[in-house]
Amino acid sequence: MSELRDIAARLVGVAEADGADDAIAEATDSRTHLVRFSNNEIDAVNSWTESRVQMFVAIGKRTLASDLRDMDNLDSLVRELVANARRAPENKGYGGIASGRFRYRLGKADRAIVNIKDPSKHVHDAISAAQSEGAENVGGTLFIRHTRTGIASSGGALASDESADAELSVRAFSQPEASGQTVSCTPRLSKLDASRAGARAGELSSKAKDPVQGEQGKFDIIIEPLFLGSLIHSTTRMMSAMYVDIGRSMYAKKIGKQVASKEVTIIDDPTIPSTSQRAFDHEGVPTRKNVIVKDGVLKSYLHGTSTAKKFKTKSTANAGMFIPTLFSIPTEPMAFHPVVKPGDWKTDELVADTKRGLYLNNTWYTRYQDDSTGEFSTIPRDAILRIEDGEIVGAVKNIRVSDNMLNLWKSVDAVSKSAQEVFWWDEASPPSTLPTLRIREMNVTRSS
Amino acid sequence: MSCGHLLDEMMMRPRVAQMIDEDIALRTLGEAESKGSMLLAEVRLERRDMRQLTVKEGQVSSIITSRDAGMNVRIALPSGVGFASSNRMSKSEGSKLVQAAYRQAKNGKRKTPVMLSPEPVVKTSWEVYQKRKTADMSIDDKLAYMRELDKAVAKTGVKVQGRLFELKDYEIDSYFANSEGSRIASFLPRITLESSNLVMSGGETAQSIRQWGSSGGWERTQEWALHEVLPQELRMLKRQIEKGKGIKPGQYDLVCGPEVAGIAAHESCGHPMEADRILGREMSQAGRSFISPDMLGKKIGSEYATVIDDPTVSGSYGYYAYDQEGVKARPRHLYKNGIINEFFHNRETASRMGVQSNGSSRSEFYLREPIVRMGNTFVAPGDFEDDEIFGDVKDGILMHSFTEWNIDDKRYNQKYVSREAYFIKDGEIAGPAKKCVLEITTPGFWGAIDAVSKKLEFTAAECGKGDPIQSMAVNTGGPMVRLRKVMLK
Repeated sequence: MSELRDIAARLVGVAEADGADDAIAEATDSRTHLVRFSNNEIDAVNSWTESRVQMFVAIGKRTLASDLRDMDNLDSLVRELVANARRAPENKGYGGIASGRFRYRLGKADRAIVNIKDPSKHVHDAISAAQSEGAENVGGTLFIRHTRTGIASSGGALASDESADAELSVRAFSQPEASGQTVSCTPRLSKLDASRAGARAGELSSKAKDPVQGEQGKFDIIIEPLFLGSLIHSTTRMMSAMYVDIGRSMYAKKIGKQVASKEVTIIDDPTIPSTSQRAFDHEGVPTRKNVIVKDGVLKSYLHGTSTAKKFKTKSTANAGMFIPTLFSIPTEPMAFHPVVKPGDWKTDELVADTKRGLYLNNTWYTRYQDDSTGEFSTIPRDAILRIEDGEIVGAVKNIRVSDNMLNLWKSVDAVSKSAQEVFWWDEASPPSTLPTLRIREMNVTRSS
Repeated sequence: MSCGHLLDEMMMRPRVAQMIDEDIALRTLGEAESKGSMLLAEVRLERRDMRQLTVKEGQVSSIITSRDAGMNVRIALPSGVGFASSNRMSKSEGSKLVQAAYRQAKNGKRKTPVMLSPEPVVKTSWEVYQKRKTADMSIDDKLAYMRELDKAVAKTGVKVQGRLFELKDYEIDSYFANSEGSRIASFLPRITLESSNLVMSGGETAQSIRQWGSSGGWERTQEWALHEVLPQELRMLKRQIEKGKGIKPGQYDLVCGPEVAGIAAHESCGHPMEADRILGREMSQAGRSFISPDMLGKKIGSEYATVIDDPTVSGSYGYYAYDQEGVKARPRHLYKNGIINEFFHNRETASRMGVQSNGSSRSEFYLREPIVRMGNTFVAPGDFEDDEIFGDVKDGILMHSFTEWNIDDKRYNQKYVSREAYFIKDGEIAGPAKKCVLEITTPGFWGAIDAVSKKLEFTAAECGKGDPIQSMAVNTGGPMVRLRKVMLK
């Protein structure tokens, strides 16, 4: 594992020798195994290996980053990068990189995941369990990932990290318009519960049978962790200082203000065991637990060194990637593992305590009219169950939650005791640990 | 951009062979073939050079350059499909990928045996021509362009937060070989610009997040005319804030501008017509479709509802000449005069439905498996002049562009909220309308069309599908379309 750290350190040395004032090298080696299944059978297996170094250099305020993938010629590529940085225009907002003597908690990958030969058994278990609960048609994905990382910087960062995780997603249909979706995401193979995930997806699909057209109006909604994961995706993005800075955040000028009900505490905690546990951010700063919203009050934005300097505060160790992923901005500070603090309600108590509401399994396409105001809508998918007088009395379909995201968070009045790690596709992402919430009086709309 | 073919852009191109060592592909393919009887083996080698410049408020925010290269092997056996990929490109890496892909395919245990449509063997090379190569341009030239753009925005006097512009250009060199004898070399350069601006006036805001994209060289940026288009957009949003009036919910005649027609074409025609989705392969991520195989030939809209996907549109962001299974790209008439006419197919889905592939297999890059994707999806132009479209609208709305939008995973219930909209009174535009909401079913949208204008316009977009999600360069587009008596909120 120290091999990647040594490569990173060597490349930082090469950059400095060629005149770079600041340099960060993050070397990654990953192996991914993917089993895709649909219609109750495995339809494709993919595997890929990826070795790369994300390299950042600065000469004064002249900065340049590159995704180096030719692993046999790294030194010469770094020299070329530094030479190009010398000719680059100045980045006047550049605030330097983190420096200091850092101490890291080292990650340890579950060898059972690293050494797994054929994960298809878990897929078959999930399919069988879903079918046993009434599902007719089951599909999904199982990812097995093993990632090793080494980082070094001219600011003193020097560390290795390793992670392995299994992520199972199961969607079960009992009828063409009656489905349930669940996930089981874990850094420990022994905790991967494919049967339970499959059974729950199957159970939800059975409960969702014979859905009728949903009605418009105000409803209390109870949202499962998977649904909440999609909301957390956009909510935590808007807590990034970068998004505040460019006018794409409903949290601008709201530090110290009530942005959610008192029931809500949101933490970013990449230090707990999870599929997104990590030892350092993309500048090499040791990650830590950050309370972003405490009892409904916004405490902090997510920062890297440059945004912290601009906002006259300190980095929260959330520096983003120099080479952005899909739909992201270079270096945007990002949440690594959001956690919504559990409450004291049992899930069935939430239902029993709701007079007129909807129990929502999952959602997608949460989209905003204007990020700065929070007007949005999202489309519940999978089981949408109608609650009357504390009982689930049937299933509905074809509805949309159309409201304001600040209002949604302020309308949370009950939080479950239990919480679950969720990570699904580009929706419930990044991986997060979340409870079930009840939200009062949400506006529900439908097509006319 | 014209809706035609690009014979001018397809030419033999010896450069590809110089960039990529074909021998690696052929040796790897040979090794795959030596495994014994199989339905198909494919090998793809790819190189990609990319440059990205981000400018915020006229200042450099980030500069990124990258060179990427790698390869993949896909093997299809009756028992399953295996796909293995790596960001290394060598004969020894190819050998490892063959072992992995073969093992995965063999262990597939499909109850429904894999079948592939028979397709012609193709030996060719193609490229998209760049009049001015983006790779040869200096960062200073690109920065000067971006700063001029920022100045043009600043000069409007409109109060704007953000002023974030991201310019990205890249070239993809690729070599494809399969066990049936196809050999295809290609060179595809693309350029794209995204902008993010928040217009503020009197305590209110309006957001503009836009993208432009083309295949080709720097010359395409001139066609975008952003130094005019962006200031117009920001002035328009200021007017929408200051002069816009809310509408009274009710039934209206609605004219959708090209951007709105385009997103509807992509989301409520293109996606539900993807055969892998129809067959359930995307069921746990991008979802299924309200359309079933037996709905071919069934009515979905009015006689004016014709939607085409054409990857061969010259200069388009979603351009390709051959798909990633080596099948020649061609226009697909998805909805034709209101009838469900043709699904998007790769070789496997085509075989399942007893037809030929129509060249819809694409992947974001070499590490990802190709899946069924769109190219450039648009509402076909009609016979109406723009003013005729408004002519006999007594009380209506023009929704020129959209902000919030979404659609359910079966692609049946969609919502578009206007970014730019106007009242229409007695056939004339009568002032800005604020945040009009169209929430409508797919047959409701396509069935309400009674007029389509002549002028076709395109918008660039990144379409997400697959797991891991693959971003795909596409165009959406259309002329203006008129919908009669739809509910607006």
